[in-house]
Amino acid sequence: MKIIGLIIAILTGVLLLSATADFPIFGDPDSPASTHLSPYYIEKTMEDTSVPNIVTAVLADYRGYDTMYETAVIFTAGLACFIILRIFVREEPGDRLYRHVLTGVTVRVKEGAKLPPSDDFERIDTMWTPPDLIIKTVCRLLIPFIQLFGLYVIAHGHHSPGGGFQGGVILGASIILLAISTDLRTAVQRMREKVDAILCPVGVIIYAGTGALCILFGFNFLDYSALAPLLHVDPITARSHGILIVEIGVGIAVMCTMIWIYNILSSGGKYDEGL
Amino acid sequence: MDIIVCFFLFAGLFFFTGGAIGILRFPDFYSRLHPAGKLDTLGLLLAMIALALFNLHHFSVGTLLTSLKMILIVVFIFLASPTATHAIVDAGVRAGLAPWVKGEERR
Repeated sequence: MKIIGLIIAILTGVLLLSATADFPIFGDPDSPASTHLSPYYIEKTMEDTSVPNIVTAVLADYRGYDTMYETAVIFTAGLACFIILRIFVREEPGDRLYRHVLTGVTVRVKEGAKLPPSDDFERIDTMWTPPDLIIKTVCRLLIPFIQLFGLYVIAHGHHSPGGGFQGGVILGASIILLAISTDLRTAVQRMREKVDAILCPVGVIIYAGTGALCILFGFNFLDYSALAPLLHVDPITARSHGILIVEIGVGIAVMCTMIWIYNILSSGGKYDEGL
Repeated sequence: MDIIVCFFLFAGLFFFTGGAIGILRFPDFYSRLHPAGKLDTLGLLLAMIALALFNLHHFSVGTLLTSLKMILIVVFIFLASPTATHAIVDAGVRAGLAPWVKGEERR
């Protein structure tokens, strides 16, 4: 069986290598891509979509299918991590540890007993180490700006380098920074696993739903000019707005997948304390 | 104007070079973080000031805004870079890495 697999792999490799011989030379000005495709994008992008950034227009409009499945692939990566690594442990029997935030006193609660509901106590694990004050304070100061910058990168993708993927990564990194600078429980309190897991496919659905909405208006899938009557703008501006909508979807999906994967990997699938 | 910009750029370059040499030459983990954290921050400050000044050659609201953004980068680096260095040192201490003392071998 292994030998058959090896033969198939080698044959495929040889086939692919022989196929690369037919490609035009790298950077060849006479290749079809450079003679037909690139000039069209460079000349027509502004007329077609009124987006100054050609990369964004190609990514989210002309090659919209490609990006939609890229988003789906990212979602699948998060889902695969979840299915393979997530361990659902029942509330471990035995004593639980709580820490009084203001004084730092740790309380051990016997099995079955309950702490009076209060915000002053936080649940900790046996591996808990106090977060460093300097790191905690600076991260608390920086995280809002990081998130603001993430939103800026998503919204400004039309005019400058950026877009949904980059902005989503920055937003996700801000929550991961919170998890690193304090502990995983604090970050999970801000972004519950359920919210995270729901928002992941919601991002993909926003993208695919925008495409499906175009079909409802009688246009092609992902032809955003169909949204013109809905947004009360002309068809060209509608394409620009459509790009923004799908970029937001991409941003949500990427952000949540990053947080999800980090949380699962860092806590070994148990979602308790993490690193 | 160009002379000032050149001065700042070369001063920044000087500190960057010092940082790079320091990372290579210092004997252990903690002392190597010292040039990495401090000199890079100062080098970046000087280089960014030079670029912000150079950008103001054609003075207008647009270029002023770009220069302000560059200064903002410096502010954030000033906050983040020492904190990152501190975090790495903290991790080293918590992991139990003993600092180098005189007479020991480089590591």
